[in-house]
Amino acid sequence: MGGESRYEIGQNAYIKLVLHALKHKTSAVNGVLLGRLSGSDASPVVEVTDSIPLFHSQIGVLAPLEIALIMIEEYYGAQGLSIVGYFHANERFDDAELGNIAKNIGDHIYKNLPQAALLLLDNKKLEALSKQKEMAPVMQLFTKDASKSWKLVGSDGSSRLLLKEPSANIVLMDYISSGKWMDIIDFDDHLDDISKDWLNSELFK
Amino acid sequence: MDCHCLDVAQDCIKVLQKKFPESKRVGRLEAMLLEAKGSWAEAEKAYLSLLEDNPLDQVILKRRVALTKAQGNISGAIQRLIEYLEVFMADHEAWRELAEIYVSLQMYKQAAFCYEELILSQPMIPLYHLAYADADIVLDCFEFLEEKLESGMQGVLYTLGGLENLQTAKKYYASTVDLTGGKNNRALFGVCLCTFAVAQLTKGRNKEDKESPELQSLSAAALEKDYKLRAPSKLSLLGSTLRSLKLSS
Repeated sequence: MGGESRYEIGQNAYIKLVLHALKHKTSAVNGVLLGRLSGSDASPVVEVTDSIPLFHSQIGVLAPLEIALIMIEEYYGAQGLSIVGYFHANERFDDAELGNIAKNIGDHIYKNLPQAALLLLDNKKLEALSKQKEMAPVMQLFTKDASKSWKLVGSDGSSRLLLKEPSANIVLMDYISSGKWMDIIDFDDHLDDISKDWLNSELFK
Repeated sequence: MDCHCLDVAQDCIKVLQKKFPESKRVGRLEAMLLEAKGSWAEAEKAYLSLLEDNPLDQVILKRRVALTKAQGNISGAIQRLIEYLEVFMADHEAWRELAEIYVSLQMYKQAAFCYEELILSQPMIPLYHLAYADADIVLDCFEFLEEKLESGMQGVLYTLGGLENLQTAKKYYASTVDLTGGKNNRALFGVCLCTFAVAQLTKGRNKEDKESPELQSLSAAALEKDYKLRAPSKLSLLGSTLRSLKLSS
């Protein structure tokens, strides 16, 4: 079957997700991860090359999600990339549980990619970033194992979720202090005003 | 308190207390500060004692709901909110909050009920029509998804038997379009999605069940017009999305 997958998340993809969560501090937010499967059979790597922030309100409703996924798959399919995972940030600071909505969406992605990743924002780790340097991403990784349930990866100390660029957290802290999260646009914003670009193509220029 | 500058808040409250020693509003602020600090039990005590003097104080009753929710006790928050609404059934903010909590818990039937209440009391507000339609469309999908998954069928979101809910959803998306003069893109997309889903369900059925495709074409055209004007870079993406929502003709 091959070894356990590693997950490598690119700087821009990572930063977009955290900034999105910071823009909407009082609600849950979610997003999708785009990328590709690479590496070898013995050590497969899921490369997360981009992310799209999706919603910050009424996350449980299907219709806007359906539309978003169709458009996203269309856009990235042309670049040879596909949806490789899902990101979720809970409403409350101390809530570290992977909720049912996240699992349902994860199940949907898993159907096309068994190595699908569910990422949950770790609020405590995010808060700690301002106090000490940290190389690991401020997220928890869940994958579906043979038992067909979503399990937290890394509780045994192994870290399979890595930041591609080691300085990503430093860049993130920079953006946080400059209030960059104000510029993030998600699909919710787009549906309310279609002139807003959910691809955030101008964000890092 | 919203910025979590609790020391500043504390100082402000001290000043207010000096000027207005018997004020209920200051008492409420004190209780809110306790809440902000995470001193749940003390905040609860403070709110309860304020309620002794005025058991029908809506703001305090609602703060108790917020307190319960902040502690992670969602079912408790729901219970408190339901009790509140039994007395103050015209409080739209409360109905909306309850609906959103239900949606986050994927209790779509209950959420739909809340939106029904809102539409009944304020039928001209497009947001409620939209939210109701959104809840309705999910109601169909998840209920049947659960059933079908148990019987081993792979999840296809739009499945048999949800026809009624889909048709209801379509009606409410359409009324949102009406109320907003065709400018609400969420509703336009909703109409297209529903039409597609209904068509999937009625494939091979009698012609009587089939609906006219005009509503979908009109909505699609409205979307295309808007994207052309305001989001031209996304126009071709929109085009392929709309094409995938039409039965091949």
